[in-house]
Amino acid sequence: MTGLVGRGVARVDGRAKVTGAARYAADNEVTGVLHGHLVLSTVARGEITEIDTSAALAQPGVVAVYTHRDMPRLTLPSFPFLKGFLPLQDARIHHNGQPVAYVVAETLEQAQEAANHVRVRYRAERPTAHLADALGEAFLPRPFRDRPNEFTRGDAAAALKAAEVRIEQDYTSPTMHHNPIEPHTSTAVWNGNSLTLYESAQGIIFTRGVVAKAFEGFGVRLEDVRIISPYLGGGFGAKGPTWPHTLINAAAARAIGRPVKVVLTRAQMFTMNGHRAEYRRSLRIGATRQGVLTAIVDTSTGQLTRTEESIFNTSDSTLNLYACPNVHVRQMGIRLDLPSSSYMRSPETTAHFGLETAMDELAHELGIDPVELRIRNLPATGNTGNHLQECYRMAAKAFGWARRDPRPRSMRDGNEYVGWGVATETHTYSVFPSSAGLTVGVDGRATLRAATQEIGTGTYTVITQVVADGLGMPIEHVTTLLGDTTYPPASLSAASATMASVIGPASHAAQSARDAVIALAVADPRSPLHGVPAQDVVAERGYLFPRGDRGRRDTYHGVMSRHGRPVEVTGSKQNTGGRSHGAVFVEVRFDPRLAALRVSRVVAAYDPGRVLNHRTAHGQVIGGVTWGIGFALMEHTVVDRNTARVVNPNLSTYLVPVCADTPSVESFFVDRPAEDSTALGARGFGETPGTGVPAAISNAIFHATGRRLRDVPFTQDKLL
Amino acid sequence: MRNFGYTVARTPEDAVRIAAGTRNSTFVSGGTDLLNLMRDGAQAHDHLVDINRLDLAGIAVDRQALRIGALARMRHVAEHPLVRRESPVLSEALLASASPQVRNMAAIGGNLLQRTRCGYFRDAGSACNKRVPGSGCPAITGYNRGHAILGGSDHCIATHPSDLAVALTALDATVHLLGPDGARAVPIADFYLLPGSTPEREVALRPGELITRVDVPRTSLAAQSRYLKLRDRATFEFAVVSVAAALQMTGRTVRDARLAFGGIGTRPWRDTRAEAVLRGRPLTETTIAEAGRVLVRDAKPHNDNRFKVELVQRALARVLSELGGVR
Repeated sequence: MTGLVGRGVARVDGRAKVTGAARYAADNEVTGVLHGHLVLSTVARGEITEIDTSAALAQPGVVAVYTHRDMPRLTLPSFPFLKGFLPLQDARIHHNGQPVAYVVAETLEQAQEAANHVRVRYRAERPTAHLADALGEAFLPRPFRDRPNEFTRGDAAAALKAAEVRIEQDYTSPTMHHNPIEPHTSTAVWNGNSLTLYESAQGIIFTRGVVAKAFEGFGVRLEDVRIISPYLGGGFGAKGPTWPHTLINAAAARAIGRPVKVVLTRAQMFTMNGHRAEYRRSLRIGATRQGVLTAIVDTSTGQLTRTEESIFNTSDSTLNLYACPNVHVRQMGIRLDLPSSSYMRSPETTAHFGLETAMDELAHELGIDPVELRIRNLPATGNTGNHLQECYRMAAKAFGWARRDPRPRSMRDGNEYVGWGVATETHTYSVFPSSAGLTVGVDGRATLRAATQEIGTGTYTVITQVVADGLGMPIEHVTTLLGDTTYPPASLSAASATMASVIGPASHAAQSARDAVIALAVADPRSPLHGVPAQDVVAERGYLFPRGDRGRRDTYHGVMSRHGRPVEVTGSKQNTGGRSHGAVFVEVRFDPRLAALRVSRVVAAYDPGRVLNHRTAHGQVIGGVTWGIGFALMEHTVVDRNTARVVNPNLSTYLVPVCADTPSVESFFVDRPAEDSTALGARGFGETPGTGVPAAISNAIFHATGRRLRDVPFTQDKLL
Repeated sequence: MRNFGYTVARTPEDAVRIAAGTRNSTFVSGGTDLLNLMRDGAQAHDHLVDINRLDLAGIAVDRQALRIGALARMRHVAEHPLVRRESPVLSEALLASASPQVRNMAAIGGNLLQRTRCGYFRDAGSACNKRVPGSGCPAITGYNRGHAILGGSDHCIATHPSDLAVALTALDATVHLLGPDGARAVPIADFYLLPGSTPEREVALRPGELITRVDVPRTSLAAQSRYLKLRDRATFEFAVVSVAAALQMTGRTVRDARLAFGGIGTRPWRDTRAEAVLRGRPLTETTIAEAGRVLVRDAKPHNDNRFKVELVQRALARVLSELGGVR
């Protein structure tokens, strides 16, 4: 160990990214590549009655136009293909913006223009687009991925009835879209039955499985499919599942016999790759006058489709965060004529917003400090609760919470009201089976390979750090290669899973390789270490020496060059998922005459177990908080009530925060290794920051204005 | 986007001649709006006449007016010392527009001709009377938070998005045009049209006419002016409501006032009746409130934009109080 782990090492891929040397999926120049462009439906429900492609086919450069009549028939894959149907296989329309034709041409511009010449006639039916228009149709969906949508602990109804104090409120949030900067893209290259995809994917192993399944009717096997995805320009969950454009594009490439590339437009990304579902939640909370929770009845309703009933915004924090003996959770759904929803950046935020706002309402009702109320309800056992308490202590101190006057509208600065709000940050993290291959070459340098991927969060950097540390090698001597399914299988980069899944195997591989090289050294008569017991040899900055005797040293380069062959090892290690917690404090400023609001300060503290890189961890906090501000104040996909069509499918009218909306964010970490994690004590952390921000903002708004907002986004009209 | 022809014009006359001689052509300067419209399929042209080389980027001044060339970039006008001193509302409106990158590219003439941000107009898959006359207006029964409460018709309620146009409307600017039939000048009040039954006609440009210059009268009124823009995020966003105001006081009494508004009208919205309420009277909370009430007297709000009726009055009150020093 050379103390690399934990250090705020700068991005090892930073230079490649800022100089443009990093090759993103669509940057790959494949010889002879054709370009595809999707034609999407302009009705939300009904059937194609007529489709005329002759004018499109007559356009310059057009190679093929596929419709449901002549599209190759594919097999409908299961999870993580989230849609219950494959477009372009029949005439039925399930949502607005569904693919109805695929145009392939020599250039992108030719394909796009030809797409304007595909004539489609529909037998359209009136769609239902909003939850409010179908509230009577809510039902309890079947378990999704073995997780039931109803959970009972104790007798919540009776406890609620008997409660000394009750908070009973509804909380709502609209449809939202992931909107990574890099659009979804796929380039398909067939060689016989072997398929290579240059893909923008958060889970290349997942994608390989879906693609192989879709083409199994053609005799394509899992090992025939290779997915390459070394860099992502953001995913936020959108690129975890595999979406139809990948399969349609690959099918076209196969039928035409040439490589084809597809890049979705920004507008297409509002119907082609999932979203956060429109959501309503009714919370009934019971407590004692001392602020001890006695009952939670949590009934949520999320948007489903006509073709599937998957719930992604689960009420985990209701079940797990506070020690309440009587809980009844129901995650209901309503079928609408909309595209499939999916996992989107910290999916538990959707439900958590309501819980953490309700906790503030309870605190106000009881006259108990909201921090104190939460601490009173933390589970008594387990170190999770203890560390969350520490998060509250750290962040409250740095924020100056003790100076807060709890009365609404009590704090002013000039013409503005100042509001302070707080909420718990919490999210589940998953773990996916992972392995890592490590090669120490004859030059004494190491290369780690793993079929996980970098989604912009610092995966290359942290893995490189951990491997260099485990080997006892300078970080510059370690190269990490990710994003290729020919590497050892590794984690999906979603569900906060990457670090918790991959660090154990990477670290294990580094230790095995170090031991293997030491074994070579001590057995080599030409080495100064010849005959030293292997367990007495340590490695540091590329040198190998007996503990306490730096003078008698060999190097990785020396050992390996004499050995003449690389050392290759594979690392693997099991881990288990869990939760990461934190506390976030927010200050808002409110101009009462204009009803104008801004977030002026954010301070947060977290318990992610051991912090592997303080810089990337802080980066994750900045990102999470920024998205939390967007969730609270502006993000909103507008779906037309009459046509079920997205009205704002672009970054000009789908607002996300800009720098001027985002104050500087202060973050603190408990930074104590989690005993239950084999990832050097690190827990999954990615999705935790930001989960509490919408509620903290809502709570700060109440403090500033005396007004309780329960429906995001909190736009100016709601503050008038 | 379909293929289009492209010609670089060398003189204004050259540009007008080329445009007249090509089918379905339009002029392009910064292209910050036009190219998006063409990419989205909201607008299609067979020929683009590039006017960036024309000698129209200057900002000149004489005794009567500030004369802003149509190709002056937003940034240059916003930062011009004379503009900042004599017409702060103009500088503030420009700096509240778009982003620094867009302001570096976008020209004054193009800014005045930018199209509405109405989502139905921008989406080729939706009906829209402005884009396809007679196809219907989904905004009236659909989502209309960003839409107009004044000046709408049964055919269209889209707002004009330009902040600059609101400021120029307050300052009584004149738009200078060159067309196949020669040059003419149009007061900005007549330049923007109400949608009526022809929402596809937004401005009083005749076919092939090019904006060459915008003249802003030099008045002492303009020196006491301000632009306030309220929006859903801090920068790079169009107005929910905006106010351009100029105020000339004699003691506590309003000698003259100019008021124009963005985000609430189907065109940059001037209200001379609200100005008349203030003229010759002391500037107080009462007179300010009365001007606000007059402004929204004929407002016709829709489902999602009712709040603008209240918000625009508050914005007006803020601007007038600050300009007039009312506590």
